Amino acid sequence: MTSTSIPIPGYQPTLENRLWTFVQQALILLLISSIILPIFWMTITAFKWPRDVYSLNSAIWFEPTLTNMVTVFQHPWNLGNKILNSIAVASGAVALAIPMATLAAYAFSRYEFRLKKTIFLTVIASQFLPGAVVVLPYFLMFKKLGLLDTRTALILINLSIVLPYAIWMIKGFIDAVPIEIEESALVDGAPRWRVLAEIVVPAAIPGIITAAIFSFTLTWNEFLFALILSKQDALTLPIGLIGFRTDRGDLWELMAAGGILITTPMFILSLLVHRQFIGSLTAGSVR
Amino acid sequence: MKRIPAYVWLLAPALLFVAAMALFPLLYSLVLSFREWKLAQSDVPGQWVGLDNYWYLLTDDPELMESLWATLIFVGFDVALTVLAALCAALLLQKPSRMSTFTRILLILPFVMSPALIGISFRFFLNPEFGILQFLLSLVIPALDGRIWLADRWLSMTAVITSDIWHWAPYMTLVILGGLASIPKETQEAAQIDGASHWQVFKDVTFPQLKPVLGIVLVLKTVFALKAFDTIFTLSNGGPGTSTQTLAYFVYHTAFHYYDLGYAAAAAYLLTALLMICSFFYLRLIFKK
Repeated sequence: MTSTSIPIPGYQPTLENRLWTFVQQALILLLISSIILPIFWMTITAFKWPRDVYSLNSAIWFEPTLTNMVTVFQHPWNLGNKILNSIAVASGAVALAIPMATLAAYAFSRYEFRLKKTIFLTVIASQFLPGAVVVLPYFLMFKKLGLLDTRTALILINLSIVLPYAIWMIKGFIDAVPIEIEESALVDGAPRWRVLAEIVVPAAIPGIITAAIFSFTLTWNEFLFALILSKQDALTLPIGLIGFRTDRGDLWELMAAGGILITTPMFILSLLVHRQFIGSLTAGSVR
Repeated sequence: MKRIPAYVWLLAPALLFVAAMALFPLLYSLVLSFREWKLAQSDVPGQWVGLDNYWYLLTDDPELMESLWATLIFVGFDVALTVLAALCAALLLQKPSRMSTFTRILLILPFVMSPALIGISFRFFLNPEFGILQFLLSLVIPALDGRIWLADRWLSMTAVITSDIWHWAPYMTLVILGGLASIPKETQEAAQIDGASHWQVFKDVTFPQLKPVLGIVLVLKTVFALKAFDTIFTLSNGGPGTSTQTLAYFVYHTAFHYYDLGYAAAAAYLLTALLMICSFFYLRLIFKK
């Protein structure tokens, strides 16, 4: 007899089968812990006194403190400014990207025109260009425009990064909206923009929100452009993190505290929309 | 005058912006790659040097050769291991259960974490004195005891690859799970009833139907591996020496540490060429459908 995993009525699981199930569950637990443990370790580090960070003897049992969380907001770290910059840049990029992407996604979804597929794929493929290739021209361009170290420069760059992803995701959701309602509204003489604003957008709103959160996450975590194009005034959180590498060595407890600040909002946002998030990620790349 | 169709107005804002932001730097670096411009010496582009930058790059730069080698190792192992890990994880989580649903939600977390932070975290975990991962690993593998990960070229490369797998494999697992969900269950069940083993079902039924998705995941991961920068920057800084300096890092380093802009632009074009080849395969995979 060979093993089988479909439950058949009256079928007694063999020892081999039970062993197999056990191994599977153990592997899943291993998977879960390899995701959770690093995050857990970073989190508790943020609440340790330095002496407990720099010794494994007090790895688990330590006296918790909020000092690090306070220190990162003080001079010279000033993470408060960096949080504001990150929020401004990410919100700015998303606020511009979502309307532009929704219009374009609607056109890609509902109209037929020449070279449609080629244009669509070229837009997606523009994101295959590595940042290292384009950052130098951007640096020189923004230098000439006097926009180095400004939020505006970072918003423009991030807008160009998230637009293709947002178009892709929103198009997927608009494709899934039944076309019949729109057609009957159009037949009744409703203008296009009203159909778009009152039928398509409300129907695709879960997808639009998902795309907004995805774009926010990408911008929030963006590192290379912020590293090169900002110096002092427009520094974002990820760049703030590498500031904790000092001449006195790496200040791990402060990095961990900064890490919590940069990670927690993304965890909350993504968990809020986890169902649509998983759906669009998986569907998007296969479609 | 002919009326402009509505879709042009809908597409124009997004497409014009993306085109401008992608084409400008591409053309600019192309022009730059034919000139000499050392920012430390001059604030304006220098003389035209024709193909000299490319010629020097390909024939006379040991650092670039090392970088290509590092890129090959990084991309090769990173892509293969990420896809393999993601495939195994997806197969494990395929059967619906409460634990599987919970794990799927958990898989989002590494993906939305800042890659720069992931690099920093692994640097911390691998610290020779108080790194928790270094401590646990040397319990399992005594040979690792007392080794300094980031001072050893192979261990450093291993660390960089591991951190990138931690960031990407969960996302790829979700993509493969999407692919698994689209395979009709009947085919697998029929094979099982016919007495096929788990392995046979996977090899002869599941895998062939999963191939298109795996192809896409493979190419997509290759693109992202060629682009990888943040984790390398915060974890190993390309080191020790140049051992984890991939091509993307090399371009950055040439431009913003050596200030050799023309040369950096030429190297950037080499990387672009590699990316173009990958994108071509990616688009072909999608077009075939």
